[in-house]
Amino acid sequence: MESGNSISRPAIGFLTVLDHPQHGLFGGYLVLNFTGRPLEFHCTAPIKPNRAQQILYGPTLEPFLYGEQIGSTLLGHAKASPLVICTDREPVLSLRDLVDLPVALVLPPGDPPESDGTPPEAHPAVPLLAPDESQPGDACHAPAPCTHDRPDLPGMLRIDAPHGRSPRLITFELGRNRLALSPRRGDDRQALSERLGAAAAALDLWEPFTRIREAIEEAQQAAR
Amino acid sequence: MNRRPNTVENGLRPVPLDQELRRSDLSPLERNALRFTEPAESELFRWQQPPPPEVISRDFHFAAEPLVTGWNRALERPLAIEVTTLPLAAAVPRAIQIPIRSASIRVRSFAFPEPNEAPRTGLTATAVSPGQGQAAGGGARKLSVTRIRPPQDVIKLEDRLNYLLQPPLEALLSDRELAMPLEPFPFQFEGVAFLYPRHAAILADEMGLGKSMQAITAIRLLLCRGEIRSVLMVCPKPLVTNWQREFQLWAPEVPTLAIEGDQARRAWQWRLPDVPLRIANYEVVVRDREILEQGEDGRPVPFDLVVLDESQRIKNRGSTTSEVVRGLSRRRSWALTGTPVENSAEDLVGIFEFLAPGFLSPQMKPRKMGRTVSDYVLRRTKEQVLAELPPKMFRDAELELAPEQRETYRLAEEEGIVRLTEMGQAATIQHVFELVLRLKQICNFDTVTGASSKLERLEADLEEVAGSGRKAMVFSQWVGTIQRLSKALRRFGPVEYHGRIPSSRRDGVIRRFREDRSAHVILMSYGAGAVGLNLQFANYVFLFDRWWNPAVEDQAINRAHRIGASGPTTVTRFLALDTIEERIDHVLQEKRELFETIFSGAEGPGKLGLTHDELFGLFALPGRAKRAA
Repeated sequence: MESGNSISRPAIGFLTVLDHPQHGLFGGYLVLNFTGRPLEFHCTAPIKPNRAQQILYGPTLEPFLYGEQIGSTLLGHAKASPLVICTDREPVLSLRDLVDLPVALVLPPGDPPESDGTPPEAHPAVPLLAPDESQPGDACHAPAPCTHDRPDLPGMLRIDAPHGRSPRLITFELGRNRLALSPRRGDDRQALSERLGAAAAALDLWEPFTRIREAIEEAQQAAR
Repeated sequence: MNRRPNTVENGLRPVPLDQELRRSDLSPLERNALRFTEPAESELFRWQQPPPPEVISRDFHFAAEPLVTGWNRALERPLAIEVTTLPLAAAVPRAIQIPIRSASIRVRSFAFPEPNEAPRTGLTATAVSPGQGQAAGGGARKLSVTRIRPPQDVIKLEDRLNYLLQPPLEALLSDRELAMPLEPFPFQFEGVAFLYPRHAAILADEMGLGKSMQAITAIRLLLCRGEIRSVLMVCPKPLVTNWQREFQLWAPEVPTLAIEGDQARRAWQWRLPDVPLRIANYEVVVRDREILEQGEDGRPVPFDLVVLDESQRIKNRGSTTSEVVRGLSRRRSWALTGTPVENSAEDLVGIFEFLAPGFLSPQMKPRKMGRTVSDYVLRRTKEQVLAELPPKMFRDAELELAPEQRETYRLAEEEGIVRLTEMGQAATIQHVFELVLRLKQICNFDTVTGASSKLERLEADLEEVAGSGRKAMVFSQWVGTIQRLSKALRRFGPVEYHGRIPSSRRDGVIRRFREDRSAHVILMSYGAGAVGLNLQFANYVFLFDRWWNPAVEDQAINRAHRIGASGPTTVTRFLALDTIEERIDHVLQEKRELFETIFSGAEGPGKLGLTHDELFGLFALPGRAKRAA
């Protein structure tokens, strides 16, 4: 930390990862107070997965790198304890398994829910949420079916989604924002609403990622 | 018994059995085979199936008796078994270890001071809330996102990031406490974002684009953020009340204090603590130099920000005004001007002596100067940013002098030239100026008969203006001309605005021109009326005579052609043909080109404005030694 700081007000963490075609992955973590002012900023030097990691981690590589490696490291350097963590990169949601904070994926404003173009009936409905867990307004969408079992090998369970696809996310609206949660963390929706409180109606959770990207580019230029 | 040779084995041709054959019919190979089975003399023969073999059986009886050898006991003994272990030759698979190392990730961390602002919520909303009124005449309803970017002279990465990571300007200004009465145009947000982080800056937008509003908003944000606490706004005297009004409109929560009154009062005003904004005219600042330099305790009165409006007032580095202003104690220096270069590139050097002393030198070429100042100067024209602003149309009224005017003019010019010629080397620029002014006055009105072709044309045009219920502005550089015009144009309800109108009455003059439907024309001097006034309700501008540089003319024109203009602005420039006015017009054109060279990078002329030789050249006189101007 280049200068000290004492955090006295509620804060929100914004975490993203930039994939630079030449240098690799840059992580950026911005902590804002509720007026949108920056309190802390942390960014990583670029990292590149080696060939062994690419082969052995397979489709779990991105969640490992984004969440466990970059996300966890960045949070470890922060002094502020945010109420929630927002990200615009889906693999960062794996960070939720490592922290005791809601981690929400912020979806681009204005875009319709993602779709893989496959008719709904093509995906056998295997809800990850039990019917009594779902809430009104929830949408379970993802570009992939959420079955984890192998129909060709009965009784066998895949640890990754078929074809590297993600399991369905739980999407919902909070104020003016569209958010998504890991399917195993549906309970976080309530926590998000409670922690962001009334401010959620006016908060623009998408905009700070633009700042992070510009700040990472600035830091990268300064490092050259 | 003859046997057929095996045709398959011996390669002979196939011959059916029991067929009588001649030896001579056989091939040599078959004859050779037959040689072993048939007598040589027999010519005819036939192949026959061989008879079955004869079988003879015999019975052999051999007696066998055991031989006692004593070995039987040995047969009863158990066999001795020897076990030999042989190693299997199976290969042990080699294991290759592929380490999956999680390399330590280097992290750079930055902490920012927590802003000193009242707790608010929901400030990160980026959109300016709809429903706010756009400035009259504008239509920029599109939401924009304007980011504050660090200037190039901010070196430290932490400081640069602190700017980059701030919320968009629109988000900051959407807060209820900072609500704006009118929705700014996107380019105005850009102007605010330009000023906000800069310690040295010139906002050089063309007149009418809202420099005041942009400066006030930037000041407001800095005050709100606690980054500045004490601001001094220095402006021309007639504009003090204008600035007060502008602050009241755009930053009503900021208390302002106009420095005025006698010296004792002013001294008290300068020393008042906790005044966020003081407004003073240039003359007051010069007059109170000692107070500002000495303060109360012998130290200069400190300001966090000093803003110079119409900063071309300090273009002359040797002037007292420039010297005093440069001596003000301050952390930030901003200059507002629509004409950073009026006569020569040195004008800009003069302004930069206030912003960043030594940053520019008069020896710099215009193009290099333009590159050097690019991060410090923001200049936009209406054509660039206001696609929706009504057009500005020029029509040059090139007029022949009335016959009596022409005669008076001819005599005056000849007499003047003769006099200058006779003076020889003793003739100075002042002498040339005197002649120029005299001739220009004759171009307006014949000094003998009062005839004026310009007035005739103006009256004709104003008939049309008044007939359509519109308003016009007429500019002249002489109060005397204005007063003559006022009498001649009485039927159009003229109002006067010039140096002889006391400051206390000037607001009333503007109000009458704006509100009185019978007041169709305002007669203004370039000096008093060219700056700081918003007269966008006037659709016609007449330049009865021409000023010395085009920037002042532009300022005058842009009193009408600015944001909020309700329709096209028609500018009529009167020009007496074959007179000194026509020659000056050529010089003005060259000055415009110089301006373009510095602020657009375009090629420009090598000459800079109205030089000593050019002044003499107006009368085809040879250049004289330079004298004090």
